[in-house]
Amino acid sequence: MRPEILEYNYDRLMGGTLTAAAKFPVGFQKETDFAFNYIPYFRGALKTMIDAGPTGKRFIKLLASYYENILTARDQGKMIVGTTFCNTPAILYAMDLVPATFEILTALGCMVWRRGMFDYMDYAVESGMPETACSAQRGFLGAFLAGLFENIDFLVCDTPGVCDTNANAFAFSSAYLDKPFYQLNYPSAIGDDRSQKYHIDDYREMIRFIETHSGKKLDYDRLAQALAEINRQDAITADIEDMLLMVPTPIPPIFNVMIYAGRFCFAGHPEYTELLEVMLEDVTRRMNNGVPGLKCGEEKLRIFMCYIDHYTVDMNFYEYLEERGIAHTGSILTRNFRDGNKYVRDLPDNAYHVDTSSPDAMFETLAQMNARMPMVRSIRGPYDRHGMWLEESLACARMYQADCVIYNGTPGCRNTWGMLKPFARDVEKQGFPVHIMNDDGFDDRVESWDATKERLDEFFHVRGLL
Amino acid sequence: MDEFYDAATRLNCQAIRDWQATERPIVGYTCSYTPGEIFHSVDILPVRLKGIETEGMEIGDTYYGPFICSFPKCLLQLAGKEKFMFLDGAIITPGCDGMRRLDECWRKAAEDYKGILPDFFYYFDVPHKSENHGMAWYIEELRILIKKIENHFNVKVTDDNLADAIKVYNQGRRMLQEIESLRYRDDVVVSGTDIFAATVAGTVMQREAYNQALRRWLEELKNRTTSLSAGKKRLMLIGSISDEIELFRMLEENNDAIVVGENLCFGIRHEGNEIDEHGDPVEALGRHYLQSSVCPRMYGKYKERLALLKQKLDAARVDGVVMQNIRFCDLHGAENSLFERDLEAMGMPCLKLEREYGPMIDVGRMKLRINAFLERLRV
Repeated sequence: MRPEILEYNYDRLMGGTLTAAAKFPVGFQKETDFAFNYIPYFRGALKTMIDAGPTGKRFIKLLASYYENILTARDQGKMIVGTTFCNTPAILYAMDLVPATFEILTALGCMVWRRGMFDYMDYAVESGMPETACSAQRGFLGAFLAGLFENIDFLVCDTPGVCDTNANAFAFSSAYLDKPFYQLNYPSAIGDDRSQKYHIDDYREMIRFIETHSGKKLDYDRLAQALAEINRQDAITADIEDMLLMVPTPIPPIFNVMIYAGRFCFAGHPEYTELLEVMLEDVTRRMNNGVPGLKCGEEKLRIFMCYIDHYTVDMNFYEYLEERGIAHTGSILTRNFRDGNKYVRDLPDNAYHVDTSSPDAMFETLAQMNARMPMVRSIRGPYDRHGMWLEESLACARMYQADCVIYNGTPGCRNTWGMLKPFARDVEKQGFPVHIMNDDGFDDRVESWDATKERLDEFFHVRGLL
Repeated sequence: MDEFYDAATRLNCQAIRDWQATERPIVGYTCSYTPGEIFHSVDILPVRLKGIETEGMEIGDTYYGPFICSFPKCLLQLAGKEKFMFLDGAIITPGCDGMRRLDECWRKAAEDYKGILPDFFYYFDVPHKSENHGMAWYIEELRILIKKIENHFNVKVTDDNLADAIKVYNQGRRMLQEIESLRYRDDVVVSGTDIFAATVAGTVMQREAYNQALRRWLEELKNRTTSLSAGKKRLMLIGSISDEIELFRMLEENNDAIVVGENLCFGIRHEGNEIDEHGDPVEALGRHYLQSSVCPRMYGKYKERLALLKQKLDAARVDGVVMQNIRFCDLHGAENSLFERDLEAMGMPCLKLEREYGPMIDVGRMKLRINAFLERLRV
C-alpha cells in the first residue's frame, strides 16, 4: 500500500467525510453549487444524494451515524462485530453491539472517493487474499488487515452454503488476525421443515457464541423493541414498494439503494425508521402531485436488477438511469420478503413472519428472517429450484412490470457466475431481455464506467428497448 | 502399477470396462465428502469424476461463466462430449461454489446435448460445519441419499452390507497408510508420482480388486532397496483439487526432488483415519467424512488444518512445500497464503503457485518457479 494511504485511518477518514457531508449547507442552488467547489473528490456522490431531496439528506445522516457508532464504540464500552450485509444487524443492536459490515464499508468508500477502494483492495491481496476474491469484502478487508480500522472483536457471517468467497473473507480475517469466528451455514433448500429447523439450531448456536464473546446475555425486552421497530420498517417499506408498481413510478432510482443500505446498516434501529418515514412522505408527495421519480420526467423503461447495483465512483449508475429515463424496480437486495408483501404471494417459503408473542417466537422470527436475507434466501440452492433465483427474479420482474432484467455483480462472485448463463437463458425464455454486465460493481479497474455505460446503451439499442 | 496408471490416467479405463461388462451400475461423484462405501455396499461402482483428457473448453465455457475454476468446467466439457456415458448416476456436492453449479450447468447442457445426463442425478447437500446440528444434517443427508439410491436402483442398503463395505474400505486405508509410512524413511523407495497414481486409482477401481492390487504392490515395495530420495529435496504438494499425475511427474522429473507427501483431496489425506467398524455404520461414515475437516470449505477450521499439515510435514521430514491453487479457487488461494505465512515463520520454505487445471499448458512457467524454489532449498 502506498505509504501516504497508511498514514490515515480508513474509518476516521470516512467518518469525517460523512459527518461533514451530513452538515453540508443546502441553501439556494447557487450557494449549494458554490459549496460543492470545496469538496472536489466527493462532489459527485454528494450531489447525487442531495439532489434526491430530503430522503437523500436523511440517508447521508444515517451513514454518518453508522460510522459514528463504530468510531465511538470503544468510548461507550461497546464491542464491534465484523459481519456481512446478509446477516441482519438487528440481533447485534439488541445485544448492544456495533456492527461493522464489510460490504457496506467497501461500497461507501467506492461511492465517495474518486480513488475508490483500489489501494485497500490491493492491500488485501498483498496480505494473501486471492485477487479473484470478491471485491465487496476485499476493499474493506484491506483497510482492516492494514490496521486502519477500529479493532473488531469477533466475526459473524452467514454465507457458508450461500457464497464461498464471502464466507472465505471472514474465515481468512479470523485466521489472519486470530479473531473468534462463527459461521451460520445454510442448506440448499428453503421453507421445508428440515431447513427451517436447521436455521433455528444454527442461530441458537450463534447467540451462544455472541454471548460468550461479548459477555452479554440476549435481552428479550430489547429484542422485542428491535422486532417492533422492524415491524414499523417493513410496513413503511411495503407502502413505498406499492408505489413502485405504478407506471410511471414516483420513486427515483437511487431510493432503491437507500432502502437496502439502510436496512443493512440499521434494521431494527430507529435510524432506519426515520429514513423510511422521510422517504414515504417524499414519494407520497410526488405521487399526489403527479411528479415522476425520474428527474427527466419521462419513464422510458423499467429494469429489474436480478443481482446487485453498480457502486463505483460518484454513484454514476444512478445518474445514468436518470439521464436515460430508466426506472429501477429493485434488485436481489431491495425486498425484505416479509409475509403479506405482494411479491411473496407465489413464494410463501421465501417469506418470514414476525411473531413477538414469546421469547421463543421472537427468536424463531429472527432466525427465519435472517434466512430470508438477500442471497441467503435465493442463491443457496440450484437456481431453478422452488423459491430460488429464477422463480424469485421472474416474480419480481413481472410484479414490477420490468421491461428487461440486468445482471450486475463482481468477477469474484463464483456462485452467480457459475450459473448465470443458463439462468439468463431461462429468463429470456420467459420473455425478458437479459443483459449481463461484465464489470465489477466495486472496482472500475475491471471495466471502466464508460465501457459499462456503452455496453448498457448497446443492449438497450440492440434489443429495441430505448 | 500398470493397472493403477490405467485407472488414474484414462477415463475409459479397464476397471470401468470390466465393471460395465457385468452390467452393474456406475455412479460418479464430484467431491471427497461422498462416501463410496454406500455404493459399494449395493454393488454399484462409485467413480470419482476426473477432468483428465479434456481437449477443449467450448462446452465448459458456454454454460459456466468466465470466472470459474477450470476443473468443474473440464467435467462439464467431458460430460458434453459424452465421455461420461458410462455413468448410470451422478452425485453433485457443494464442495465449492464452482463445483456445486455443475448441477445446473450439466442439466442445462443436457437440454442441448441430448442424453448426457445420467438417469440418477442427485444434489448431495453437505454442510460446512461438522458440529452438532451440522453433523446431524449430514447424517440425515446420508440416509436420504441411501433411500434415493434404493429407490432408483432397486437395491437395499442394510447395516450389515454397509458395515462390510466399511471393512473393505478400511483394508485399503490401512495399506495406504502403510505405503504412506514408507515415505517417512530416510531412503524413500517409491516416487510420489507412483503413490499418487495408486491413490487416484482407488477412486475408480472396484474396491476388492483395488485392495488386491494394493496388497501386491505393497509387498513389492517392502522388498525394494534402491533409494529414490538420496541427495534429493523432499517436497510436499498441497492445495486445490488435482487428479493430475503429470503435476507430480513435473516435480519429480527434476532429479533434485522427490514428493514425499501430498495434501490433496484426490490423495491420501482422507485415508488418515479408519472408519469406526462398530455401531451405526451411517453415523460412522458421517463422522469420518465430515469431521476430517481437511478442506477449506469447512470454514473456521484453519488451525486444525494447519496442525494436521504440520504433523504430516514433520513425519515426512519435508524440506519444502509446493502450494498450488487453480485460478478462481479462492478457498485454497486464501488458505495457501495463511499456510505460507505460518509455515515460513516455522522455518518451512513454501512456494505458492497459481495455475490452470488441465493439460499443463503453463508447464514452462511452473518449472521455472519450481527450479528457483529448489535452488532456494539447496542454499
